[in-house]
Amino acid sequence: MGRLESREYYILLALAGSDKHGQAIARDAERLSAGEQRLWPASLYGALESLSEQGWIEELPAGTDDRPDPSHRKRFYRITGRGYVALATETRRLASVVKLARARIKVRSGEAG
Amino acid sequence: MKERSYRVLLRLLPRALREKHGDAMQALFLERLCHAQRDGWAAIGAAWLHAILDVGSEAWRQRARRSRPARPRRVSMLGSDLRQALRLLLRAHFASLLVVGMLALGIAANVAVFSLVNGLFLRPFPFPDPERLVFVNEKAPRWNLEVVGVNYPDFHQWRASQKAFEAMAVYDTVSYNLSDGSRAERVSGARVSHDFLDVLRVPPRLGRNFTPDEDKPKANPVVMIGAGLWQERFGGAPDVLGRSLRLNGVAHTIVGVFPPEAEFPEGARLFVPNAGDPNQQGQSYGGSAIARLKAGVSVADAELDLLRAHAPIWEARDREQTVSPYVRPLREMLVGEFATAAGALTVAVALLLVVACANVAALMLARAIGRRRELAIRIAVGASRWSLLRQLFAENLLLSVAGGLAGVVAGGWAVGVLVAAVPDEVPRWAQFGLDGRVAGFAILVTLATAVLFGFAPAIQAVRSDLRGAMHPAAGGTTASPRGRRTLFLLVGAEFALAALLLVSGGLLLKAWERVRTTDPGFRTSNVLAFSMSLPEAAYPDAERRLAFWERLIGRLQALPGVDGVGAITCVPFGCHWGSFFEAEGKPRSADDPNPVVLYRYASAGYFETLGLRLLAGRFFQAEDGHKGRGLSVVVNRSFQRAHWPDAAAAVGRRLRRQSSTNDSPWYTVVGVVEDVRHYGLERPMRPGIYLPLPEETPGNLSLVLHAAGDPTALTASARAIVQELDPDLALFRVQTMEQALLQSLRTRAVYSWMLAVFAVQALLLALGGSYGVTSYLASQRSREIGIRLALGARGADVAASVLRSGLRVVVAGVAAGVLVSLGAGRLLSTLLFGIAPHDGLVLAASGGTLLIAGLLANVLPAWRAARLDPVQTLRME
Repeated sequence: MGRLESREYYILLALAGSDKHGQAIARDAERLSAGEQRLWPASLYGALESLSEQGWIEELPAGTDDRPDPSHRKRFYRITGRGYVALATETRRLASVVKLARARIKVRSGEAG
Repeated sequence: MKERSYRVLLRLLPRALREKHGDAMQALFLERLCHAQRDGWAAIGAAWLHAILDVGSEAWRQRARRSRPARPRRVSMLGSDLRQALRLLLRAHFASLLVVGMLALGIAANVAVFSLVNGLFLRPFPFPDPERLVFVNEKAPRWNLEVVGVNYPDFHQWRASQKAFEAMAVYDTVSYNLSDGSRAERVSGARVSHDFLDVLRVPPRLGRNFTPDEDKPKANPVVMIGAGLWQERFGGAPDVLGRSLRLNGVAHTIVGVFPPEAEFPEGARLFVPNAGDPNQQGQSYGGSAIARLKAGVSVADAELDLLRAHAPIWEARDREQTVSPYVRPLREMLVGEFATAAGALTVAVALLLVVACANVAALMLARAIGRRRELAIRIAVGASRWSLLRQLFAENLLLSVAGGLAGVVAGGWAVGVLVAAVPDEVPRWAQFGLDGRVAGFAILVTLATAVLFGFAPAIQAVRSDLRGAMHPAAGGTTASPRGRRTLFLLVGAEFALAALLLVSGGLLLKAWERVRTTDPGFRTSNVLAFSMSLPEAAYPDAERRLAFWERLIGRLQALPGVDGVGAITCVPFGCHWGSFFEAEGKPRSADDPNPVVLYRYASAGYFETLGLRLLAGRFFQAEDGHKGRGLSVVVNRSFQRAHWPDAAAAVGRRLRRQSSTNDSPWYTVVGVVEDVRHYGLERPMRPGIYLPLPEETPGNLSLVLHAAGDPTALTASARAIVQELDPDLALFRVQTMEQALLQSLRTRAVYSWMLAVFAVQALLLALGGSYGVTSYLASQRSREIGIRLALGARGADVAASVLRSGLRVVVAGVAAGVLVSLGAGRLLSTLLFGIAPHDGLVLAASGGTLLIAGLLANVLPAWRAARLDPVQTLRME
């Protein structure tokens, strides 16, 4: 399993709260990252596709909405068990990076000052 | 509109993704755009930029995922580099827009001018083997004539004995009254020899070429129509062949439709056989010829061959070898006088792009140096230099692509404006517009800019001494001396180039002003002119023609609001009829540099109507030229100067048309008038004479009306009168003399103003660059300045020191630029209409403007530096 890209991370994070459709995921990701992760349409849906392919999220079956053209349907996604694992792994990795970086920067500025 | 544009953008994505999520993507984008609209245009631009980048990088990623599944990381890293770059750039909002805007300015100007140059010089003709096409004409260097025109018997002789050409054809312009009984229309066309299309090697659009038999005098009248006429009159019907067209009252059988790309001379809409007679004596030199070189024959060889073929003509009727043929590449004729102007514009625009790039380079370098500390820290915590360079590269790429896109769009718009401004002089085969080549050129320029000017300073920034930069006491206080030198050099170069452009633009504007205010020698305001042509069939003799013209003039004169009516064969800026005349007792010397005389037939009212100034004697009166009166002539000042000491001395003298038999009648000079600028305000006037209209009434005349008020208001009533007198007649070339004057100046106006606009752009760029660099350097010195202020330095001293360092560069740049422009002005001298390249006013004004701009650019940063709060700056460290 490779490292998660930050957009994928935030998508998983958004879906960890509840099942959502694309626009809601984008809004949630932006909110969760305090505006840092702004997902634009192509990367959002591209990422949703690739996450689905990897089996980390899945599309919910169509509900009552049964319009004939599939592209007009709002698609809802939910995070899978493997997705949770990936999210947790990445969170741990990030936490350790943050810890390391904090320690380094403190030492350096201590030296210089 | 925005939905459609976004959909077009989405086409970059793989079809599966687009079809599945297209609507959702569009909805999300529109939501973002809607938000952005509340924040103004900058936010809208940013949203679109985001969208373009988003789709572009996703398309890249998707494609890479499919084609190279083993190496996905690399691509996504570039994608994330680009996105991060975007985020950084958008944060530095204003600075980014500045860079994009400056690049766009430079690129737009480049695209516009390159499109023009491309259309005229680079794009091949739409004919097979276009490089073998040449034009042939005759010149008379001894008479100061570059273009005499082709004489048909000469052409006939060449065609019979030349060896260098595959084919040769001669053509000439004509125009006809085309009538269908109820309404008449004037249609311009060309008389072409039967092999015209063979030279160009294009087949007729429909039907057939003229046969050699049809191309002989007194052959059956046939015509080939242009595609425009075919559509207009016959709805493009294929059964048009064999139908007939009444030209000047004579039925012509349509044998073919001319291929549209071969429709020249410009504006020709129908074509008839040239039907020249090689044996008729004394034919005029009015034609033009085109030819196709045999493979492997050069233009120079062809000219030698033509001179050889011409030798018998010298032998027979031109022993002094006055007139000789010459050969030039066809493009040269069609490009004509655009060449110098287009060259100057191309150089100017290249300079402008250099200025724009120098500017971007300065801003990028300043930023890169300013971020040394940030970069150093990132390297210290483990970022690889390669990844930082990639990051910087991504930023530069973004800026350049955005600038390039904006530039191409703006350039496309500018091309439209330019082409609309010069429609008449531009040949039909030259098509302008954004084509792949132009877009490619713009992209190339953009990428080169990114790499050269964005990346090189970035490398310097990353390579520079990291330990120094890391140290908080040193880092971020002052730029390295080398960095400062580069910045100063860039700003100085900007000002130098801007000075060059300003001086050139100023010279051209001054020349334009001088041309525009040149006295044309006649009244231009409130004068309406139009032309008419009486068909030979209905008006076979001079009596009938004169009767018609006199009736028409009488009727026009009676119109309310008409102050005067005149008729003449060639109105100013119109045509040219040249011949040789000699004054009594002064045989023309063989080396007279300007022997060709412009002769016109004018009615009695012409002089007053156009407000010509009388120097001596009188204008024509109604009786002049009628039988039984002596032959009278009015000469212009140039003619008088060439023969007699002053105007008064000229009156009463005699002149006659030169002929080999010396038996043409003598004309008595009754008046001398001031020259008019017949060939355009910037062209010299040649000797000219006016002969009285009744003497040899021609069928083609131009009428001029002096109106009390708006002259265009007379058009309808004039048309009605003509319609009433003869419904088969058409008015053409209807325009006021003011319009004619402006039209004659349009090319100059366009290039002069374009260069001036470029100069102003360069000025703005230099101003922006200087401001950016001084601000940056001052902010880098803020700690030093804080200390100085804390130690008691006066704000004014601090401001002066900042100002001084900025202005020194400006002054040096301007001085260098002005010096260079002294040399460059000489290259422009053919366009300057007598303005000296070192014109004091222009030099002073340009230099002064630039210095003021430099001052403006530096005052604000200096003022800000003086008002620094020492406590604040020192605490910040």
